[in-house]
Amino acid sequence: MDSSLVTFGSWLQNRSFALAVATSDWAYPFVQATHFTGLSLWVGTTVATDLSLLGMGNQYQTPLQLFNVLFVWNWVGFCIAVLGGFLLFSASAATYLINPAFLTKLGVLIPMALMLHIVIQRKMREWGRQETPRVARIAGLVELLFWISVVTAAVSIPYFG
Amino acid sequence: MLTHFGEALQDNSLIVMLNSVGWMAATIEIVHYFSMFVLVGSIAVIDLRVMGLAGQQQSATKLAQRLFPWMWAGMALNFLSGFVMFGGIAASYIPDSTFHMKMEVILAAVIFGIIVQWKVPAWDRLPAMPKGAKIIAAISLLLWVGAILAGNEVPALSGLG
Repeated sequence: MDSSLVTFGSWLQNRSFALAVATSDWAYPFVQATHFTGLSLWVGTTVATDLSLLGMGNQYQTPLQLFNVLFVWNWVGFCIAVLGGFLLFSASAATYLINPAFLTKLGVLIPMALMLHIVIQRKMREWGRQETPRVARIAGLVELLFWISVVTAAVSIPYFG
Repeated sequence: MLTHFGEALQDNSLIVMLNSVGWMAATIEIVHYFSMFVLVGSIAVIDLRVMGLAGQQQSATKLAQRLFPWMWAGMALNFLSGFVMFGGIAASYIPDSTFHMKMEVILAAVIFGIIVQWKVPAWDRLPAMPKGAKIIAAISLLLWVGAILAGNEVPALSGLG
């Protein structure tokens, strides 16, 4: 692997906040819970929006109306997840940076899923009306599969460790 | 009695297979995480709506009717996958006090989730969300975050999982 990445990882995991997460008896589960709480908001609101684009569930509101309610907490969840994720990463950065599952998750799957997520959000005014166009349904389905693949990569990290 | 049940479960050939074949165990873990995000994300948004912190432009009842089916679907998958993972080392989980705490927090969270679902239409008909509703929703939200934390404490404190 790229040695500058590993050098960066070693530097990061020796910062005092990273050492605190890694060595404290109580901090690690709290940081993990922060990551998972953020992910719950992010994934929960994203899945609800994608399923509404797919026409699944009851149709008490258009996908656009649902999206308008969920938008703020979608990104609040994202920020909480990134904060918790960064701290978890810092605790053993050098190990993560040579893990193929982690590199696939962070370097490939998350950027692609995020790009599609932003495209869907920008298209929502057009796609989220009464009649959802076919392309919107496909985008919603692909985004769902992307986030499932992100969780798959995350769960696979210890298998490669 | 419970110990016998745990041992029988642990020896059940289906449970053994699901926990020992690599890709099956990984799939169950992926389902457990993803469904947890959908479950907690859905109830969290409804709690935030009742607390006056999300989607005030839309009726709480409509939002709840939209999200509760995903909460229940998430819960069903989460409990089913959790049961399989529990079954794999049931005899170790059954006497573990941290695992007991996790189950108690989840039970309390489910009860509060049901109360919120049951009361939302009545609260929504009032001119403003009553203070008691906001308190119940805040407790529900705290309990669900607590359930995630308790889940992380089982491996952290007891080394199980």
